[in-house]
Amino acid sequence: MVLIHFPIALCLVGVLFDFIGQWTKKPLLVDVAYYDLLLAAISTLPVVMTGLLAWHWQLEGQRLKGVLLLHLVLGLTASGMICLVWSLHFRAHRNPEAKLPLYRVPIELATAVVVSLTAHLGGFLSGVNGSG
Amino acid sequence: MNWRTFILAVAILAAALGLAIDKRASAATPDDKATPEVAVKIDNFSFSPATITVEVGTTVRWTNRDDIPHTVVSDDWIFKSKPLDTDEQFTYTFTKPGTYGYFCSIHPKMTAKIVVH
Repeated sequence: MVLIHFPIALCLVGVLFDFIGQWTKKPLLVDVAYYDLLLAAISTLPVVMTGLLAWHWQLEGQRLKGVLLLHLVLGLTASGMICLVWSLHFRAHRNPEAKLPLYRVPIELATAVVVSLTAHLGGFLSGVNGSG
Repeated sequence: MNWRTFILAVAILAAALGLAIDKRASAATPDDKATPEVAVKIDNFSFSPATITVEVGTTVRWTNRDDIPHTVVSDDWIFKSKPLDTDEQFTYTFTKPGTYGYFCSIHPKMTAKIVVH
C-alpha cells in the first residue's frame, strides 16, 4: 500500500514543476519535471502489478463491481496517462532542440485530476479517508 | 391382463409411491425447527458483534451496512464471500463445533470470531 504514494506524488510534483518551469522560463525545473515523471511512470509498474495480484489473491479474481471496479478502471487509466505524459517529455528530452508540445498541458491537467480521483477513492476504500 | 398392462400398472404404482415418500420427507412436522439464524452487521470497518456464540446448525447472516465493499473470509478459508456492496448479504451455516476466526480480505485488520458449540 505504501508503493502507491510514489506515482501519485511524483506525477503531481512533476506536472507542477513543468508548469512552473514553463511559466518562469527555467529549463532546470522542466528537467526536474522530466525525471519526476520518469520515476512516476516506472513506479506505476509495481503498483499496477501489486494491485492486480491483490485482486487475484485477496479476492480470488472475483468479478468486481461498484467502487472496487471504479478504482480498478481509474487506476489503470491513471497509470496509462502517467506513462503518456512521460512519453511526451521523453521526446523533447531526447532532442534538445525540440520543444515540449503545448497540447501536453491539458493532458497533464487531466492526468493530475485522474490521479487525484484515483488516490482519493483508494484512500476511501482503504479506510484512510474515512467511510463518510 | 397382458404384460404391457402389468408393467404400466407397476410403473404407475412406483411413481405414486415415490411421490408419497417425497411429500412426506419434505412436509414439516410439529417437531421440525427452522434453521436458527444470527445476524452480524458490517459497518464502520468492523463486524458487530465481534464475537458471537452459536450452536451447531446455526446460520450466520452478514449484512454490509458500510459505504464501501467488504468481504467475509474465515482464517482457514473454510468460508469466503464475494465482495459485498452496501446492503448485500452473505450466509454460512456452521455444521461443526469450533472457533472460527474471520476477517475482511480487503481490510485485513477487520477481524471477528464465531464460537460454535
